[in-house]
Amino acid sequence: MANRTIPRLLQTPAVLLLLVWMLVPLGMTLFFSFIRYVLNNLRRPEWTTPSIENWRGFGNYKFVWNQDGFWFAIQNSLLIVCSILFLTVILGVLIAVLVNRSFPGRGIVRVLLISPFFVMPAVNAVLWINMILDPVLGLQGLAVGGINEVIAGLRNAPLVGGFFSLWPEFNPVSFRATQTSAYAVIMMVTWQWTPFAVLIFMTSLQSEDQQQKEAAILDGAGRWSQFRFLTLPHLARPIAIVVMIQAIFHLSLYAEIEIVSRGNGNKNLPYLIGELANNNIGAASATGIFAVILANIVAIFLLRMVGKTLME
Amino acid sequence: MGRIALNKVKKVFGEVEVIPPLDLTIDDGEFVVFVGPSGCGKSTLLRMIAGLEDLTAGAIEIDDADVTEVPPSKRGLAMVFQSYALYPHMSVRKNIAFPMRMAGIDEATQNAKIDAAAKSLNLTDYLDRKPGQLSGGQRQRVAIGRAIVREPAAFLFDEPLSNLDAALRVGMRLEIMELHKKLETTMIYVTHDQVEAMTMADKIVVLQAGVIEQVGSPLELYHTPRNKFVAGFIGSPKMNLIDGAEAMKHDAATIGIRPEHIAVSKTEGTWKGRVGVAEHLGSDTFIHVHDTGLADMMTVRINGDIDARHGDTIYLTPQADQIHRFDAQELRIA
Repeated sequence: MANRTIPRLLQTPAVLLLLVWMLVPLGMTLFFSFIRYVLNNLRRPEWTTPSIENWRGFGNYKFVWNQDGFWFAIQNSLLIVCSILFLTVILGVLIAVLVNRSFPGRGIVRVLLISPFFVMPAVNAVLWINMILDPVLGLQGLAVGGINEVIAGLRNAPLVGGFFSLWPEFNPVSFRATQTSAYAVIMMVTWQWTPFAVLIFMTSLQSEDQQQKEAAILDGAGRWSQFRFLTLPHLARPIAIVVMIQAIFHLSLYAEIEIVSRGNGNKNLPYLIGELANNNIGAASATGIFAVILANIVAIFLLRMVGKTLME
Repeated sequence: MGRIALNKVKKVFGEVEVIPPLDLTIDDGEFVVFVGPSGCGKSTLLRMIAGLEDLTAGAIEIDDADVTEVPPSKRGLAMVFQSYALYPHMSVRKNIAFPMRMAGIDEATQNAKIDAAAKSLNLTDYLDRKPGQLSGGQRQRVAIGRAIVREPAAFLFDEPLSNLDAALRVGMRLEIMELHKKLETTMIYVTHDQVEAMTMADKIVVLQAGVIEQVGSPLELYHTPRNKFVAGFIGSPKMNLIDGAEAMKHDAATIGIRPEHIAVSKTEGTWKGRVGVAEHLGSDTFIHVHDTGLADMMTVRINGDIDARHGDTIYLTPQADQIHRFDAQELRIA
């Protein structure tokens, strides 16, 4: 067994580095979540330094659990993550299958398809909320105004005028409002992350076995059956990868939420952590641990679902 | 029924004419082997029959119905691929069921057919496994099972044994022949291995550069090859082909003599040479003879063994009635 010792020794620095890298932040978060630790408290100045003396047990967890907005933040986190995953996977598969065929200008189309992924999240949010979704000056406002004008014009037209005079005026939607800001975030992140899904699915499609397809053609499978019984199962693993990576990324969405509505009606767990961390580090850490647990549950649940539905 | 006729079938890829206009008829129940060196167009021809490749010109008939424009799935043919082409995420049962599922056959009939196919192919114990858990031979049997349940007019095999090791190949060869005897369905089998062609075929089609060199039973091809190419391609070890003065003696541009039709002596004979490598197979010995002045190397096959060492002088005597003669156009002189 002596010959196993040297490789192990050589691996040790890397393993140690990784352990420190992951365990120290997690350990600190755990520690802070069990003590009273605030940045500013005039009455109890001893709470402003992290110390085992200020042990609070599960007090921070109870505080967060019972806080207004905690359950809403969890719900909202799940709504945003699941919607984005659903949309990006479906759009990604469809676009990847479409782009996988050969057509003139395919190279340019592929580069253009990938480009949203290179936009910074904050820039993405500013672009969407101001230039596209704004109810007055954005593309949405202009489009709704244009449609209203066309309808107004048609009201005076002969024959169809009577029909169009029954139509109401359309109102643009404000996406900074409490009820709609989550949808704005879902839209902009879906736009940004669909290219990621397309990229992964496209590489996977290129490795699809052509003889299997030919066998399926001879077996009487039409285009839909080939897609359903060969292409989709072939994509199951890349879909699982896309779902997992995106779930991790989007559970920690922050910039978009901040820019769209400053959290108005649209707080998720990271945003809640950010708000608590303005002063109450203990509660913020406890929320962070809740977020870790939620992320694990989501990842396991989603991966199971993908595996079950696609692998027969 | 499975009578397949190719009329002036032609295939062009870009500028290259892979298959010049070609005629061929395959009778119902025949086991036909397309054989030829790699790149001779045999697989392309098979894929054209299957419908996976379009025809540039010509027509294909199955049972006297023109199927040139009929999609592959409606031609009633089943194909077994070299890579098996099993669906990796489906169990063996689902793989075999797939064509029936696509045809919308009810589940009870499906199961009955799967069980029958599995039984005849020794797959009953593996029905719930995934292809990845099977050996090469078992995978090939699943591919055959998937073809059988469709009850096709003809089976198409595209080099089905190339990915198997030598021992398994012999076994599977026998199984496919048994299957043919049992089903009595037309089978078209593509291979580059002339041993497979000789042992399995009712009728061999020898192809070179898309052109049919000869069609005939294995023994016809062996005894009366139509030209020099077929003579050299069919038979193992290869026929010895001799040009020049020795051929002139027989009024031919080239003469051919098979290794098994040459007698060997250490003292006297028609041709004199030096022993090179001797391959001892036990039942037979192949001796490679150099410096005969006739060809670079002559191969001789003798029954049993002979005490001939590397470098020894050896004398060869061809059997006069087994000499094949070819003219300057490489065609056989009767």
